[in-house]
Amino acid sequence: MRWYVARYGQYLLVLLAALTLNFFLPRAMPGSPLPFLAGEEVGQLSSEQLAEVRARYGLDAPLWQQYFRYLTSVVSGDWGFSYQAGRPVVATLLDRLPWTLLLVGSSLLVASVFGIAVGALASWRRGSALDTGSLVAAILVDSLPTFWLGMMLIAVFAVELRWFPIFGAIHPWGPKSGWPYMADIMQHLVLPATTLTLATLSGTFLVMRYAMLDVLGQDYIRTARSKGVAERRVLLKHTVRNALLPVSTVMFLNLGLLVGGSTVIETVFSYPGVGTLLYQSVLNRDYPVLQGAFLVLTVSVIAANMLSDAAYPLLDPRVRRSGP
Amino acid sequence: MSRDQRAVRRVLFGTPTAILGTLLLTVIVLVALFGPAVAPYDPRQVSGRPFAAPSAEHWLGTNDIGQDIFSEVLWGTRVSLLIGLIAASTAITVGTSVGVVASLAGGWVDTVLMRITDIVLTIPFLPLAIVLAAFLGPSLWNTALVIALVIWARPARVVRSQGLSTRNLAFVEAAQALGGTFWHILTRHVLPGVLPLALSQFILATSSSILTEASLAFLGLGDPIQKSWGTILFYAQARGAFLNGAWPWWVIPPGLLISLTVLAFVLIGRSLEETLMPRLRSR
Repeated sequence: MRWYVARYGQYLLVLLAALTLNFFLPRAMPGSPLPFLAGEEVGQLSSEQLAEVRARYGLDAPLWQQYFRYLTSVVSGDWGFSYQAGRPVVATLLDRLPWTLLLVGSSLLVASVFGIAVGALASWRRGSALDTGSLVAAILVDSLPTFWLGMMLIAVFAVELRWFPIFGAIHPWGPKSGWPYMADIMQHLVLPATTLTLATLSGTFLVMRYAMLDVLGQDYIRTARSKGVAERRVLLKHTVRNALLPVSTVMFLNLGLLVGGSTVIETVFSYPGVGTLLYQSVLNRDYPVLQGAFLVLTVSVIAANMLSDAAYPLLDPRVRRSGP
Repeated sequence: MSRDQRAVRRVLFGTPTAILGTLLLTVIVLVALFGPAVAPYDPRQVSGRPFAAPSAEHWLGTNDIGQDIFSEVLWGTRVSLLIGLIAASTAITVGTSVGVVASLAGGWVDTVLMRITDIVLTIPFLPLAIVLAAFLGPSLWNTALVIALVIWARPARVVRSQGLSTRNLAFVEAAQALGGTFWHILTRHVLPGVLPLALSQFILATSSSILTEASLAFLGLGDPIQKSWGTILFYAQARGAFLNGAWPWWVIPPGLLISLTVLAFVLIGRSLEETLMPRLRSR
């Protein structure tokens, strides 16, 4: 119980830190915060219009009042106005979020399955060609910039071989319902999801391999073997099950990495998620959107961490009573 | 030959992979130092027709406005490496200081410093870096500062745990009992104990700084006047390297150089870790 209180306190601190950063960044920059809040066109406004904009953002109030005003408006769902899109930031974000969740979710799933399977087999046959080969591959892939990996996949599989579309999440004039629509989405998903999977696979693989080696050195494995338990059963029931525990926590810890990776990969593939929105808002100097995208990504990582906390007691019976 | 010299030799040349890393890094550092001097063209000047394929005049062809890509890549080596090293040394200085002070001071100082460290570790670091870079504006120093701000937390955590175990060693406790001041124990006992670890964290931090810089520059947050490898790739993506069939000489070389540089640091870093912690070798 105490553990959960400390944990949720920490999440609250992270959220507050992100919000505080969002509040102070426009105000800490030299000059007026107005161009950051309301767009670069404020220079052309008349003095009455300027006064109106200043009042709208409460810029004449003391800083602490502005701060609380900002916090309450974020909590009540007012995340500012995108002057590029001409609509509220929240509406834009809600359009984009499903695509990011699809990309990150499918990559997380595939990377976990492959990382766990290869990690288990590699450690089981330690020193084999599979073990050495996957270790070398992990180091090599980790050295590649994620976005460049995506660019190379585009060059080979989209530009030269023409197996997959070059950009986007759906065909603009394609079918919008039923199986053809699903197939269209899948076809657009393959390359970006493969890139993100490759970029995060090695982390899961290395942790799984390490955890397996740790478990394989335990006494109960020797006991199981010496009493004649079948090898297959030792692998699956005794070793893999126990090695999965540390892997599950590390997977969620890596989620921040996955979200960062999705930002550049979405940009490479012009995938219409939050990451591409982040990129576009940088190019357009659309600061409210930029800050909204940052906030929503931070909130998703916190949410995933909370999910992991909730799942842990289900995976490990030992912590059900005492807490991790 | 002293013990330290032997250790350095083992780190740099002890294993075939370490030798590969050292060779790669030597070549890249030489390119960063002398590349601009031997570059055939000024990378900012138009020196050919747009989208020219590789030729005797332009070894890696030209970009969308006719600048020589080979010269751009040579100059970019210096920018990318410089940002990586500045960011990593700043991050390690901050991270080591936080880790050492937290481990030695304990109590509320430790609690506060580690809460801050955990906050930085939880916030997705690339989006954070993007927001900071967008507000600060593109320049070599700003990019290095932003990267340092988002990556100092991991070394701080690692150094703190090493500092904790150093602090509890008998001779440190003895120094404390003899009335050694906080500053004395910090500089004479704890800091020397964590320095080798800080060095290996520095090498790791350099490789992740170079990757982060490349990502930021690719997202258009690099200095357009001082193009790094990532900035070259940003222009390649934005100005249609794929549509014009220019990707083999415009996209591959900068990306390959980033990868080889990161690989060099990773290989040397692993070799250093194995030398420092022989226990790891059995894994």
